[in-house]
Amino acid sequence: MSAAGRNIWAVFKREFKSYFLTPVGYVVAGMVAVISGLAFSISFITFAKITQSPSQYAYSSVPDFEETLLGPYLVFCGLLIMFISPLITMRLLAEEKHKGTIELLLTYPLRDRDIIFGKYFAAMAMVLVMMLVVAVDLGIVSHFVHVEPAVLVFGLLTVVLMSSAFISVGFFVSSVVQNQITSAALTFGLFLLTYVLGNLGEELPKVSPVPADWPGAIQGPVSFVYFIFRGLAVELAMDAHARDMTQGVFQPKDVAYYLLFTAFFLFLTFRSLESRKWKG
Amino acid sequence: MIEVEHLTKYYGSIPALEDVSFQVGQGEVIGFLGPNGAGKSTAMRILTGFSPATRGFARIGGYEVHAHPLEVKRRVGYLPERVPLYDEMVVSGFLRFVAEVKGVSRGNVKAEVGRVMERCSVVDISDRMIAHLSKGYRQRVGLAQALIGSPPVLILDEPTVGLDPRQIIEIRQMIKELGKEHTVLLSTHILPEVSMVCERVIIINHGRIVTEDRLDRLTGKEGDRTLEDVFMEAIAKEGGVRGEPEAEKQ
Repeated sequence: MSAAGRNIWAVFKREFKSYFLTPVGYVVAGMVAVISGLAFSISFITFAKITQSPSQYAYSSVPDFEETLLGPYLVFCGLLIMFISPLITMRLLAEEKHKGTIELLLTYPLRDRDIIFGKYFAAMAMVLVMMLVVAVDLGIVSHFVHVEPAVLVFGLLTVVLMSSAFISVGFFVSSVVQNQITSAALTFGLFLLTYVLGNLGEELPKVSPVPADWPGAIQGPVSFVYFIFRGLAVELAMDAHARDMTQGVFQPKDVAYYLLFTAFFLFLTFRSLESRKWKG
Repeated sequence: MIEVEHLTKYYGSIPALEDVSFQVGQGEVIGFLGPNGAGKSTAMRILTGFSPATRGFARIGGYEVHAHPLEVKRRVGYLPERVPLYDEMVVSGFLRFVAEVKGVSRGNVKAEVGRVMERCSVVDISDRMIAHLSKGYRQRVGLAQALIGSPPVLILDEPTVGLDPRQIIEIRQMIKELGKEHTVLLSTHILPEVSMVCERVIIINHGRIVTEDRLDRLTGKEGDRTLEDVFMEAIAKEGGVRGEPEAEKQ
């Protein structure tokens, strides 16, 4: 393994183990297991009822499993991870700063890259642990209902991609603040804000609401600001881009959205860690 | 081994170090003294590459700290003042992590961890969680992580603070031993400690060096002056002890 690989691996291992040396890992995995399990059971029972008498539920025939159950369930799992991920990311850098261990970490012969990727991968590994729980549910179901394996894998991958965006935001927040609680609260607040704004954005009319009798000089800029706001509200909602993909519809722009989102916040985290060199 | 030239550090508009220059040769054990808030920790943090200097240079083994941080960090073992450690880890697990990030080759990690644990007498507690350690053991684990990889330079920030007399004697003995193979920069408030382990002393006050000399020259040939006298005299030159706490900035 190269030196960089070794260093990232060392940071990753320590960070990932720490999740399970403290209660965080168990709490997070347990919460996901219980909540996703319950949600899955309920939606599966509903689906089973629908298949027995579709007409009662206003379906003309047995509905598509992927569309009615799998897709919405995976989006739900993504949202569940959105609510839980601040618990995973809050400690990444805030705790090091709070406890002072950052002084050791930054005086070991590591590059910022080793620290950031090591920690990011450790948080992502926690996401994979959570997804494993979800995958077990789905694995069992695929024995009873025919699910296209490709759809299943792609659906799970979508949730991982979406989680990666959540993790990168939380990681950045953790790099800015000094305290774990602040870190979690702020991350959580940000997610909630984008989520609510996203729903609001969907409700907003697609045409400019500016009255037509306003003078053009005002109408133009106001509509422009309106469209930017609406666009941001719709696009920043991190769940919006997952809806099609969870049903196995490959959308390059949605995949790119999550990858760029992650890259952008990891970039900010790099700058934030680097700021010590000029801030003093 | 350590060269410091015109090192200056400001926290905002507050000077923490002003135009500090000194050199430490290979194998020397230097006592770095000064009242609280004098700038000792600030200087050490710059030397270890943890925080940047406002002006001036610091070189370790010929490498400038700011320009070649990795080369410097490979050569320095650092024990920070408050001994921050990963509380949730067990001692041996933590030391293995340190060995890995310090680039000890995979086959040697176990042997290296064993060596420093032996050296710092923490073999008995290797399976204990760091959060449960006493202050004395914590300090030794802190020292052990600094020793991993046998860096030529050791920077120890108040390694004996908060220890009981027996532990102080043990740590002091250990530092004396370490001085045989490492260049050591040691900050402390306990002056007799300095007389016992250091060959040369740098006294710093208000961010400036006020006295720097060999210990035997400072205390006179017959030992007619104690280090206390030298210390009080040195810091009086600059208008006495300033009662401000050290800027706790990172």
